[in-house]
Amino acid sequence: MKLATTKKEQAKIDARSNKADVKQKNILEMLKSHGAKIYDDLDNGQFPKFSIPSRSVNNIVYDKKLRQYILGSNAAVRSSRNSAQLRSFTQLMWLAFFANRLTKERKSSTLRDIYYSSQAFAIEFEDQSESDNIIVDLEAVTSKPREDFHIFPEERSSIFGDLTIEYTIPGYEGKKMNLSNHPDGYSIGPSLTTAELVDTSAEIVIAIEKGGLFTRFVEEQVDKKFKSIIINTGGQAPRSTRTLLKRLHEEMNLPVIVLTDGDVYGEHIAMVIKSGSANAAHLRDLTVPDAKWVGVWATDIEKYKLPTIPMTESDIKRCYDLQKDPRYQDGVWKKELDVFLRLKRKAELEAFSKYGLTNITDKYLPQKLELAKSL
Amino acid sequence: MSSIKEQFNQISPSEFFYSNRDLAGFSNPTRSLYTAVREFVENALDACDQKGILPDVHLIIKAVDPDKPDPKPYILTVKDNGPGIDADHIPLAFGTVLYGSKFGLKQARGMFGLGATMAILYGQITTNQPVTVKSSVDGVTQDVFELLLDIQKNKPVIVQHTTKEVSKKGLSVSICLEGDYSKAGNKIRDYVYETSLITPYASITFDDPKGEKFSHPRFVKEIPPPPTIIRPHPHGIDVERIRRMIVESQFEIPTIDDAMIEKVRKDLGLSVKSFTFAAIMEKAKKKWKTLPRQVRVVISLMSFLKMDFEKLNKIKIEDIDMPNKKLYYWDFGDSQSKSVDMDPESQYYKQLTNTVQGEPLTTFLTKRFQRIGPTTAVKFAEYAGFKPEKRMGTLSNQELVDLSDALQKFEDFMAPDSTCLAPLGAEPLEKGIKKFFNPDFAAVVQRPASAYSGFPFIIEMGIAYGGDIKTGGPHVYRYANRIPLLYDEGSDVVLKVVNETDWGRYKVKGEPPFIIVSHICSTRIPYKTAGKENVADRPEIERELKLALQLLSRKLAAYMSKRGQADMAKKRANLYAKYIPLIAEFCTELAGKKKEPNYKKIINENVIESKQTVEEENEIGDN
Repeated sequence: MKLATTKKEQAKIDARSNKADVKQKNILEMLKSHGAKIYDDLDNGQFPKFSIPSRSVNNIVYDKKLRQYILGSNAAVRSSRNSAQLRSFTQLMWLAFFANRLTKERKSSTLRDIYYSSQAFAIEFEDQSESDNIIVDLEAVTSKPREDFHIFPEERSSIFGDLTIEYTIPGYEGKKMNLSNHPDGYSIGPSLTTAELVDTSAEIVIAIEKGGLFTRFVEEQVDKKFKSIIINTGGQAPRSTRTLLKRLHEEMNLPVIVLTDGDVYGEHIAMVIKSGSANAAHLRDLTVPDAKWVGVWATDIEKYKLPTIPMTESDIKRCYDLQKDPRYQDGVWKKELDVFLRLKRKAELEAFSKYGLTNITDKYLPQKLELAKSL
Repeated sequence: MSSIKEQFNQISPSEFFYSNRDLAGFSNPTRSLYTAVREFVENALDACDQKGILPDVHLIIKAVDPDKPDPKPYILTVKDNGPGIDADHIPLAFGTVLYGSKFGLKQARGMFGLGATMAILYGQITTNQPVTVKSSVDGVTQDVFELLLDIQKNKPVIVQHTTKEVSKKGLSVSICLEGDYSKAGNKIRDYVYETSLITPYASITFDDPKGEKFSHPRFVKEIPPPPTIIRPHPHGIDVERIRRMIVESQFEIPTIDDAMIEKVRKDLGLSVKSFTFAAIMEKAKKKWKTLPRQVRVVISLMSFLKMDFEKLNKIKIEDIDMPNKKLYYWDFGDSQSKSVDMDPESQYYKQLTNTVQGEPLTTFLTKRFQRIGPTTAVKFAEYAGFKPEKRMGTLSNQELVDLSDALQKFEDFMAPDSTCLAPLGAEPLEKGIKKFFNPDFAAVVQRPASAYSGFPFIIEMGIAYGGDIKTGGPHVYRYANRIPLLYDEGSDVVLKVVNETDWGRYKVKGEPPFIIVSHICSTRIPYKTAGKENVADRPEIERELKLALQLLSRKLAAYMSKRGQADMAKKRANLYAKYIPLIAEFCTELAGKKKEPNYKKIINENVIESKQTVEEENEIGDN
């Protein structure tokens, strides 16, 4: 019996690590086929070239079905014959080559690492923004997020709650971890992003914009009181966090709600979790279309008599910009944006502290969770 | 009320220049040394040019006491192989201000020999040393003069005059003057260098006070055609000039026939019987005031011919040459042309001058001006509202002004005759530029002659790029009548035109190794100052400079774009050589191969086939 369980579990582990293996194998196959094409071109005395979907503004369109921005059908040829493109062509080749090594060895690196690693191969990048740009090129060509190539951003957000995961990264394969054991939360890095989601008792995911409030929520045991997994997005949610949110929603069937500051940027943080950003229009699988923004709304400012600060010029400009965005044309998105513009004032999550430190978790959150059900 | 008595003293030209010497470029020891060099070198070159001699000019500057600090006395000597100057003329030529041979309308470096005398004057007042002039006109004997200038009287003082035997023609002038070579040296060396560029047919050597020798041998063996003296162009004329031309012009010859003689006889109140010459003149003198003009003219003519009516009947007046005071007539009896002299002091001479009507307008125009034919003259008369046969002598002041205005405005005159100009010529200029700068690219142009205010001028210009030329260009070498202009370039019209050019349009960028040589030739260069260093921006000159520069710039642009293409191809080949091996390396591992692909083909092909159109990042897709 015991043996059987072990066997069963072993099978499960095998299945999971097989899943990771399959993913790795697919990535490597794809990179190999790109490499082989270039190899053959060169061997035939031809300048290699490939096509990259255009990421220019006029090729970014909103897809209503997918409920996110996607790239249109425009593409550009990048040719090694063109001396103006030769350098970026070589940079991209190097990146593919480097990503291939990373994937094979299951090693992770950061955007900054990439910038420095290039120098060992006589590939110069002017600055990190140039290397970052080439990374986006690789994503666009392969339609895979950089995380699939083991390239991660610096920024880290964190997670806390009753969620059991199982690592797939080398050296930790099969090791399990419950994410409610450490009150500071767990940082959402490469190992967490690639881990299998095994089990949870939570019924909802609460994404919150700020680290301070995240700590408060842990202290106030929001995870237990509201059966939730708490995620600190640390401002605009990084892609790995958005991927995790999506997986929690899809694999664990958990609804996702988002709590942000009561301003136009907060509103947009929620929107990006829900339907992605124009910057990542070349990628799918980064959105949680069913995610709900529950606050802080502009209407909450009046409703809860929150202390406010005036909007800046750029806040107001951002409001007008978003009014043109197709996703802000109806519902709560449009309504709240209009109210922000009317008030010309904003309120932070911390504003609730005026009514006591636990006011937000005791009063505001329950009301919003209730409201979320009807949204 | 008090009355102030002012005393007016006539001052001599020498005195005038003595007190205004900075006008002529003798303001300080540095500038003076430079100006003195210029004046003597230019005189030497002018003298050789006029006689068609390939100039050998030798310039020597020596410090009297080398150990003294600057400024100090220097001995400046300029020797040439020119025609020399007659011994008779030397004291006046070198010991008087405003004495010279360079009058008339043609291009020369200097005018009137004024500058050289100024240098001598400056030398004398700073060192009290005489000028030494050695001249040989025949290549056998040489006259050696030591001269001082009497400033107040504007007269030469001969200190010493000797002769000796020589084997070469030529002139050598040596003065002692206060100068500052440590400061003027750069400019003087530049001057000699730049002069040899614009005078490629001259050999110029320079021994400087520090013992350095600079030698610029000739590299062109032919002298450009010398300028000729010509008549003025109508566009360059003013009222005063026309008035003088009318006075100078030859007069209408009255026809002396039987009827005319009869009229004269009648007006004098003489009977049909013969009268002696003396009697006729006696009678005419008495009745002079009552006589009509025509009769006065005939009497005046008779006074010079010393003939009575009978003799007068047997001749025909051919020409009255007022300037030369000669009266030409045809003697029917002897069947030959004869002449008598006219006494300019006599009242009859004045009568002839005053009363004769002058030439018809059309004749005046065709004879007195350059490049006006009979057809143009008639057309002009119509344009100006004058009858073509209008006598010049009968023009009122207002008519003169109208005529002068019309002459300047009429557009159908041909461009001024440029034979009075002596441009260097495109070919020698290009040779010079190539020799001096060894450039990668050079182009020259000689514009057709044009005129400002009636003074003809020609712009010659050269442009060169690359080679030995220093970066930081365009470096502009300015010349006027084969003189390099070194000072005051900021306010010069050439600089203005160059600076107004948008070089980016001609594919010249950054700090290019690039020179422009500009040569303005004219019978009168419109200098801004007496120092002859910068040319004023006359619109006509500016326009010609612009046209010349544009033409050359377009040629330069064509060259630059070719050069740019070659550079690009080279750059591209380098890029391929750098990046393709890297791509090969990466894709080999990516494709999981062991051996690198054979990419050498691509690189090699592109090193040879270096003209490759850039394949743009073409958008493909449905919009």
